[in-house]
Amino acid sequence: MSRRLLWSLLVIIAALALAVVIVPAWVIQPFRPQSPRGLEVSFALKRLAPFVTIAALLACVALVVKLWRGARWSRVFLVIILLPPAVSAWFARQNHFEWMFNPLANAGYARADAASFVGDGDLVMAVARNGEAVAYPIRQLAYHHLVQDTVGRVPIVVTY
Amino acid sequence: MWETTIDGRTLHFHLAGINNQNFIMRDEETGSWWQQVTGEAILGPLKGQRLTRVPQDEISFVLWKREQPMGRVLRPDPRAAAAGRYAPADWETGIAKLPVATRIRDRRLDLRELVVGVTVNGHAKAYRMTDVQQQNPIIDTVGGVPLVIVVAVDGHSVRAFSRMVDGKPVDFFAKPEATVLVDTASGSEWDFTGRAIRGPLTGRQLAKIELLRDYWFDWRAYHPDTTIYSAGLHTAFFVAGYRAILVSSTNARSSFIEAKT
Repeated sequence: MSRRLLWSLLVIIAALALAVVIVPAWVIQPFRPQSPRGLEVSFALKRLAPFVTIAALLACVALVVKLWRGARWSRVFLVIILLPPAVSAWFARQNHFEWMFNPLANAGYARADAASFVGDGDLVMAVARNGEAVAYPIRQLAYHHLVQDTVGRVPIVVTY
Repeated sequence: MWETTIDGRTLHFHLAGINNQNFIMRDEETGSWWQQVTGEAILGPLKGQRLTRVPQDEISFVLWKREQPMGRVLRPDPRAAAAGRYAPADWETGIAKLPVATRIRDRRLDLRELVVGVTVNGHAKAYRMTDVQQQNPIIDTVGGVPLVIVVAVDGHSVRAFSRMVDGKPVDFFAKPEATVLVDTASGSEWDFTGRAIRGPLTGRQLAKIELLRDYWFDWRAYHPDTTIYSAGLHTAFFVAGYRAILVSSTNARSSFIEAKT
């Protein structure tokens, strides 16, 4: 295979690896409307991304190794071009929505009369089940978006 | 609020994205995507499945505490609180200024108008929060079920109840000084939990109807056939009627005071 062809292949694979993670992140961004088709494509890409990006990274490494010899000034470029597939392989394993809105790892609870952290006028999402009552202050829910709990022996997810 | 057990399997959810400003969650077990507001799996192996809704209430803390003194309250996460991630007390005014990005073009209401939505027997109806506050209570019928929508004294906590008592619909008016409804049939007084606390029907309980506080664009997106309540004659009649009672009682009181002095 000619060097030119190998170079082109390297650039294309690196770009594809990047696209696999950028497209869903672009489609599913807040303050932008989403279409059912856009969601479908994003879902498929998100599911494939962990495998596709690793395969792309391995392919790129193989190509760089092959092109290394004989390349002189362009060795810097060979290293730089490994960055997009490497970053993609890492990003495909991240949940960037949970960077923005940290999940509540260890939810703690206070008795109603000891909950001085809630203002009287603050809204709460409330549930009562099999004799157990729980309130989830909206100001906290609006950040975490979801809280998992077991109320009255029933496992639930509180969403906001 | 949803039960997380489906077909005998308990799912664990993560925030996974956003669909027209309503978030998507992903379950760890199957990787399916679920729409927060509908509880329906929209993509993945469980597509088409629905979680079971848990009856919920969105009310002010002080009201909840009075009703559930033995309850427990979610504590703020110290790290999130220290980082200033939690919404300020006046978060609703901040949210109202955020842009709306949606394909919904139904401008019967302002897209960010706060509404209270109910769905009864497949019929969805939205009530503007300002109507709910001004006309408290709203007497209406949705999907063949007569209902009453009532706001607590805090002006924010809203509940809906069926108006059926002994198989017959009853009408209500509200005493503004407390969150007390009075039914026009027996004159009994009903509190914000839907229980009759004074009068011939004392001890009776009205059936609660689920409602959702939401922005118009979001309610409309998931209830495309929704109707909108318009302040009608019926309510106007009751408001006028009650004002008349109020005025006469105030007059009586002032003449009493005059007589005393």
